[in-house]
Amino acid sequence: MQGNRRKGISLFAAVAVLCGLLLTAPGAAIGAGKPIVIGGSLPLTGEFAETGLWIERGMRYWAEEVNAKGGLLGRPVEFKIYDDQSNVGKAVTFAEKAITVDKVDLLFGGYPGTAARAVMAVAEKHRRVYVSMGGHMKSFQQGYTYSFGAPPLMGEWWYEGFFQWLNTVPADQRPKRAAVYTINNPVGLSLQDSINRWTKYLKIDVVINEKYNSPLTDATSLIVKAKQMNCDILFSNGFFPDGVTTVKAAKALDYNPKAIVQGIGSVVPAWVKELGKDGDYVFSGTVLHGMLNYPGNDKLNAYVKKRYKLPAYPLYFGFGYVWMQTLQQGVNGAKSLDQTKIRDWLKTHQVDTIAGPMTFDKYGLPAPINFATQIIDGKAELIFPKNIRTKEPVYPKPAWKK
Amino acid sequence: MKKAPLIAAAIVVVMLAAFPFLSPEVYYLSFMFSVFMYVILASSWNLIGGYAGYLSFGHAAFFGIGAFATAKMAALFELPPVLTILAAIPAGAIAALVAIVIGYPCLKIRGPYFAVVTLCFAFVVDLAVKNIEWLGGAEGIWMRIMDVQEKLSRSIMYEVMLILMVATLAVAWWVGRSRLGAGLRAVRADEEVAETMAIPTANIKIQAFVLSAFFPGVAGGLFAYYLTYIHPDVVFSINISILIVLMAMFGGGGTWLGPIIGAVILTMVNEGLSTFARAEIARIIYGTLFIVVTIFMPDGILHFFLKRNRGR
Amino acid sequence: MDAVLVIQSLISGIMIGMVYALLSVGFSLTWGVMHVIHISHAAFGLLGAYLAYSLLTIYGIDPVVSAAASAPLLFILACGVYRLLIKPVTKAKEVIVASMILTFGLAIILENIMALIWKADPRIMTPAYASGALILGPFYFQHPHLVGFALSIAGIAAVYFFLKKTYTGMAVRAAWQQPEAAQLYGVNLYRISMITFALAVSTAGAGGISLALLNSFEPHSHNLWLIYLFLVVIVGGVGDIVGTALAGLIIGTITGLSMAFLPFQWVNLVTFGFLMVFLIFRPHGLFKQGA
Repeated sequence: MQGNRRKGISLFAAVAVLCGLLLTAPGAAIGAGKPIVIGGSLPLTGEFAETGLWIERGMRYWAEEVNAKGGLLGRPVEFKIYDDQSNVGKAVTFAEKAITVDKVDLLFGGYPGTAARAVMAVAEKHRRVYVSMGGHMKSFQQGYTYSFGAPPLMGEWWYEGFFQWLNTVPADQRPKRAAVYTINNPVGLSLQDSINRWTKYLKIDVVINEKYNSPLTDATSLIVKAKQMNCDILFSNGFFPDGVTTVKAAKALDYNPKAIVQGIGSVVPAWVKELGKDGDYVFSGTVLHGMLNYPGNDKLNAYVKKRYKLPAYPLYFGFGYVWMQTLQQGVNGAKSLDQTKIRDWLKTHQVDTIAGPMTFDKYGLPAPINFATQIIDGKAELIFPKNIRTKEPVYPKPAWKK
Repeated sequence: MKKAPLIAAAIVVVMLAAFPFLSPEVYYLSFMFSVFMYVILASSWNLIGGYAGYLSFGHAAFFGIGAFATAKMAALFELPPVLTILAAIPAGAIAALVAIVIGYPCLKIRGPYFAVVTLCFAFVVDLAVKNIEWLGGAEGIWMRIMDVQEKLSRSIMYEVMLILMVATLAVAWWVGRSRLGAGLRAVRADEEVAETMAIPTANIKIQAFVLSAFFPGVAGGLFAYYLTYIHPDVVFSINISILIVLMAMFGGGGTWLGPIIGAVILTMVNEGLSTFARAEIARIIYGTLFIVVTIFMPDGILHFFLKRNRGR
Repeated sequence: MDAVLVIQSLISGIMIGMVYALLSVGFSLTWGVMHVIHISHAAFGLLGAYLAYSLLTIYGIDPVVSAAASAPLLFILACGVYRLLIKPVTKAKEVIVASMILTFGLAIILENIMALIWKADPRIMTPAYASGALILGPFYFQHPHLVGFALSIAGIAAVYFFLKKTYTGMAVRAAWQQPEAAQLYGVNLYRISMITFALAVSTAGAGGISLALLNSFEPHSHNLWLIYLFLVVIVGGVGDIVGTALAGLIIGTITGLSMAFLPFQWVNLVTFGFLMVFLIFRPHGLFKQGA
């Protein structure tokens, strides 16, 4: 009796799960106008979900816009997005699935850098144009011809704008001693590049130059060291969690350098939203910004403001959009979905995007783009180059308000 | 009577081997490649975790060691693709060697303590690879792309992984019926009693541990070449370690067939869910699967069906 | 080596270690008493953190208050979880394995429910005092550390007194040491197990909130927290309440000292390496002899 009932329940449960499965399955596309399918994978769950979801939102906004204007090559566009669960192995398999099983017309760019590094190889092997942020300079030097960074998230360029601005600060007001803390992964390592070059040039003494492995659960010792060594500029080369831990410790321990420079943690909307005033005055870089004077940025800002209640679009929303924008112009330029034609067109023509005009070199990279940013009053303001400045930089950083 | 399963297994293997000749799309080759890989991982884990009851929570360490050893050899000696694939074998041997060094002190520790020691071990290896440039570094390693048609290159990887899977399963089969297997089961039942029965427990545990590290090492090497770019975060992921344990236990630990069932079902379900359902919902259904199966089949799928058959 | 740096690193290391101990104490209890390895323990802790986060941002309720308020809530939730999910697996041949698989599934479900409710964006718990510090001479006692430390002492002490002083607590201990005998004396094992499990989960809430005061958190953060759970519980000895607290101290001291004396790059490696060596030489936790 008991056994039978149990069996019954288990059967019921199995059927229920199956039904749930079928219910959530997307309806098959009906052949109206035969849409152009753009496929690939994003980390929609797990460690990198937050960023993955912003990229998806940016892409979807682009598709909405394109479809409203009659589509691409006269055909509507639609996405086939797989969730790779923040797993690089899955990102590779799903890229292959999109290419060989779904036979998608175009690929979209993935995240994070490690996944992009692996998928760039897949795209090359299948001769598919792959427009993404790439995985920093090294990934573009592998000889891939179908990959484009449009624009890339290039750690090597990330602080370029900041240092150019610092160069304009009178020499006697510049910081003299730097504490550099870098997360030990591809992003962190590539961020070190510009620091090494520029600190030499600006004669800033790098007193502390240390790496840490993720997770950084406590930054007390990092800050105490920097404070004791009288470092008047702090580089926190990392992501959101470690960046937050570092900045919070700096405030709690009353460490007031002239400037705090943060890697890619401060570009996440949560930086401003969650840290509030404590996140202010942090310098960073960007390749995209809602206040840039290129066509399209206003629309994106307005959309994000309405839909997500944010003052300006987040970096990865912009990335999702701009990669699609580049691909779109490649397709329109080549007047075809032939991947090699699209690639060749992109290599020889200029694209106009929300990140400005770009032409690509043999590595698939545009000329180095970088703008210095600073968080001022809860907003990421552009501070350099001067012609795009939205607000005067605050330097030296005011002491922490308690 | 006894020949029937063997013939059935042979037929399955031949059919699997013939699959690439039907010219399937690359994705199916890749997907089966990952199924084979998880069968290898779960089955080799089972040698120490299932038979002997020593739950290793750091098996991704051996997988990662194999991956990085292969990539490193390929870079160091500038190996052509074919030799890179073969380099996975010495890479597996390196993983096995590490297993001897680590196994000797760690296998003296029992129960959950062993689980945590292996967990720590996996972190130590991961961080060592990241911190020491020579071992691979935090930048990761790129490998050379095979210069043949993509379908052919994926077919080659498929067949190689299939061979490795057959080898792993053959060894697992052999272990299960050998004195080694009997000894390991005695260890699992009661180690003190096993010792009084003059079973060289320390010795056989090491043997099982080394075998269970070798095959994941080789599989790691093949996986590295499959990805062409590897990073410590990818191959040393704690998620892999946990997934291996769950697969083996899910199907039924300590049996030959259990880990195969677990690995195949979980890999397929996970992939299927990602295809059909929305991201978070897919994960919730996946999580529910673990709960439902454990409640109704608390000793693994295989034991559940074995018990039922016996009941009839 | 500079004394201020060493002592400051030790202070924050130990305080953070104690927060891990608070998160771990319940995990240790369920493992020790019921032989249930509760993989979703940290996920429940994270749920506590999210609840406190919402209460703070919407109603301005202090996380410490939320820690107290969320405890009964999690207690009730955990009773339901026990009744529906955990109880069936306690009949398995190998409870440890079965409970691990089941609660692993539960952790995935909780993580993704949290992702659906609170979204994947990282969060920070910032009550007004969050970034302040108590300054004593050259030393800084950061407020989140102090709060976490205090909650930890209170939580662990509460569990300790529950087990030692209350009738139910004594029944739990009896049930744990001699299940058959305890049943003979009329101890209701089912009820006792449910209370133990629910109590454990409610301490996880306070632990999660304390941890959320220190670092930012996301729906997947519990995976990381789980690693600390294992480490603290193993060093302290499974089921040993005082041991758990001491383990928090020890792990905090190791981290603090390595933060002060080593390049930061090696801190995590040394911590895990040390724990490995420690386990090899003291395989039953710090304070137990033999199995």
